[in-house]
Amino acid sequence: MNLKEKGKILWKFHLNLSFKVSSNFKMFIGVSGYNHESAAALVDKNGVLIDYYREESLSRIKGDKSFPRRAISKLLKSNNLQIKDIERVAFYERPLSAFLHIVKEASLNMPRSLSLLVHQFRNFNRSSVSCYLDFAKEFKGLETKLIYSDHHLSHSLTALSYSNSKKDVCSVVVDGFGDRSTASISQIVNPSEINELWECPYPVSLGLFYSSITDYLGFSINEGEYKVMGLASFGDSKSKSAKLVRGLMDWDSTSNKIISDMSYFDYHLSTSNSFNSKLEDLLGPARNPFVQLIPGESDFQRCADIARGAQDLTIYLLQKIFTHAHKITRSRRFLFSGGVSMNSASIDSLAQLPFIDEIIIPPSPGDAGCAIGAAFYSYIKSNSYIDLKISKPSLFPSLKEIRNDEFLTEQIIFNQFSILEKDEDDAFLKAAELISAGEVIGTVLSRSETGPRALGNRSLLCDGKNKDAVKKLNTVIKNRSPFRPTAPAMRYKIAKKYYRLRPEIYDCYQSMSATCQCLKDNVSLKFPTTHVDGTARIQIVENNSSLDKLLSILEPMGVEILANSSLNVSGDPNSFDLVDGLMVCSRTKLRYLLTDLGLLKRKT
Amino acid sequence: MKNIQSELPIFYETAHAELASALEMLAACKGTDTPKQALGYFMHAKDEYMHAKCFFKMLSQRGIKVSLEKAREFRFTPPSLIIKGYISNKGFLIDTMKLKDFIAFVYTNELLAKSSFENILNLVGSDTDEGKIISSIMMDELRHHGMAKKYFLKNYPALQPWQLVMYRFRETLQNKGRKLYDANLKFLDKILTPLYKGMAFVAGNMARKLNLNEFKREGKNLMEISSKSIL
Ligand SMILES: [Fe+2]
Ligand SMILES: [Fe+2]
Ligand SMILES: [Fe+2]
Repeated sequence: MNLKEKGKILWKFHLNLSFKVSSNFKMFIGVSGYNHESAAALVDKNGVLIDYYREESLSRIKGDKSFPRRAISKLLKSNNLQIKDIERVAFYERPLSAFLHIVKEASLNMPRSLSLLVHQFRNFNRSSVSCYLDFAKEFKGLETKLIYSDHHLSHSLTALSYSNSKKDVCSVVVDGFGDRSTASISQIVNPSEINELWECPYPVSLGLFYSSITDYLGFSINEGEYKVMGLASFGDSKSKSAKLVRGLMDWDSTSNKIISDMSYFDYHLSTSNSFNSKLEDLLGPARNPFVQLIPGESDFQRCADIARGAQDLTIYLLQKIFTHAHKITRSRRFLFSGGVSMNSASIDSLAQLPFIDEIIIPPSPGDAGCAIGAAFYSYIKSNSYIDLKISKPSLFPSLKEIRNDEFLTEQIIFNQFSILEKDEDDAFLKAAELISAGEVIGTVLSRSETGPRALGNRSLLCDGKNKDAVKKLNTVIKNRSPFRPTAPAMRYKIAKKYYRLRPEIYDCYQSMSATCQCLKDNVSLKFPTTHVDGTARIQIVENNSSLDKLLSILEPMGVEILANSSLNVSGDPNSFDLVDGLMVCSRTKLRYLLTDLGLLKRKT
Repeated sequence: MKNIQSELPIFYETAHAELASALEMLAACKGTDTPKQALGYFMHAKDEYMHAKCFFKMLSQRGIKVSLEKAREFRFTPPSLIIKGYISNKGFLIDTMKLKDFIAFVYTNELLAKSSFENILNLVGSDTDEGKIISSIMMDELRHHGMAKKYFLKNYPALQPWQLVMYRFRETLQNKGRKLYDANLKFLDKILTPLYKGMAFVAGNMARKLNLNEFKREGKNLMEISSKSIL
């Protein structure tokens, strides 16, 4: 090759390079972390969420809340970005505000709170206050692009992105604690004008109350709340325990405030105890976390009644907050986010409030999802109002693995699995046949879910009407608590036959965010996916999704409903990539895995 | 009861260590360059997950028998893997170490793990059910150690077995150092706690006077509040 040719090639290369960089330029990153699960999201210059990772998906540590180093790295690497391609990075809360509110509250309760204060001051460098330094250390240059959003604003923007209309809607946020408050109501005029109208100041907190009851019942905070919700269905609202719990908080209708008897709780005073002995005097001894809770055994009913009380109180307070929100905004359309909006058992009753036309809950309404709102915050802050176009994100936002799954897993599959069908259509057909024959199969297909719920791409599936298959999924493979129901997934026309659907929360059914009642005297009451109280946390599958495709093959075989659970061993995060899926298969009795490489069967 | 209480931390810490090894091996599986190594790390991770499961089971069998306060103290939550330093907050070893050092690390640590299990075996008795499980875990660790050794010698033939012994020596020293450091830290903590509390008391008294009303946003457009402010 002569010099001239070499020069030409170099020039072409340079052109390519400059084209690439300029086309990528103006990317926006949103980051959440330190207090709850951390995550990072990437939004492009057209307002499209193009990639998203939870740190726990990559570290494999459930509830990982450390600075999301892996998630940010992966965003940059998978999308071929350099620091200079990023216009702005938004952190999901105001770190000093979060820090000071906790310190101030604790300082009012010295000396009881001294250990919390010591902890706060000593771990200053591990709190979100150090996020600037962490950026500077891990991603040099990014710290200069750092901006901060309000915690509840990040929640609101996450929810707003999933709404079809981006104007004239009311946002309700209810969580444990953000950077100022624990619940808020905002009027969204448009993405550039979001007016906060009401807040519930720390430490009174519906989210932290629910977590304290979770802790009292022997489950882990931030993980066991689902179990409390499932347990509540076994409880009796009229029982003494339920009534006592129900009395721990209330709504004051003259001041429009949530009130709480804080003397039962320690979450604002201590790092290790969320409740204190006064709560035990009231409700009896807390439960040993190592003792399994089994329906019918001693103490089960007391625990279920306590859970019922917590659930009743949650529904009552949420109704009050939504009613107040309607009163002060006149809005009939609502966004609902924050950790408490994951309480899917309360959404059905909210939808029945007379003034509600629509409730939108984002698929990841907790703090991990806030990274998405923060990314949109930096996008909105960098664009003029007329240029704003926020696209509704996909339920499956993470980019597909760039690294060749096929190459990396070649030997693992060759050694430990056999490939039953390689062609995609054949693999789906064979998987459907196995499901209809009562087998449980796992899936690792295409892009992964936003989380926390598996919607079919990283799922464990079986025939949702087959009692034995559902039991096998729950006990043999997953080791789930016996009082937690499994979700049924189906297409819309099937759901209508069995369940009392509410159009106000249709979107919630797509992301498994709301439970619904079985129709009266309906056969669905007997389905193994129906909870003891006659409800089910249904999923209406999205058109053209993996589950939609599978169900289109299954329905003619007589299987209309799939039981759908996440593809993980209990205590682990849901599977993220193919290796994780293969590992779940190897560690459990699961034998079949439907993947992009075909249908695999574990060798015995 | 007292006996069981003193055993809790042993099973608690060991379960942490085994789960952390599983995560390290899984990360190595995903981070490696060849399918063959990926398989090796995959199988190793699977073993470590199984070990962790066994120790968690032994932990909970003891957890049911102790006071509620103790049980709550030794309840496992995954993020403690990082807080307690079992997984570095800098990243997985495969990402932060040179491959050669990583293999050597596995080589020495498997052996160290095995010897620490000997102590637990003495505790539970070798002919009990738990003892049998622990013995089989020890066999696994020996096998892992052997595999790492084989790999090491094959891929770094210039290194002699005695050099591996050096690695082991170094790692043992570091391990001892870590323990000593940990003990010192705990000691220091004991001495300093009253001081910290005193300081927190003073700071707390100052914090009492903080006026956080400025943070109130009622009636404000949240999008117009300065995006540069951490307050
Ligand atoms: Fe939050
Ligand atoms: Fe091990
Ligand atoms: Fe090992």
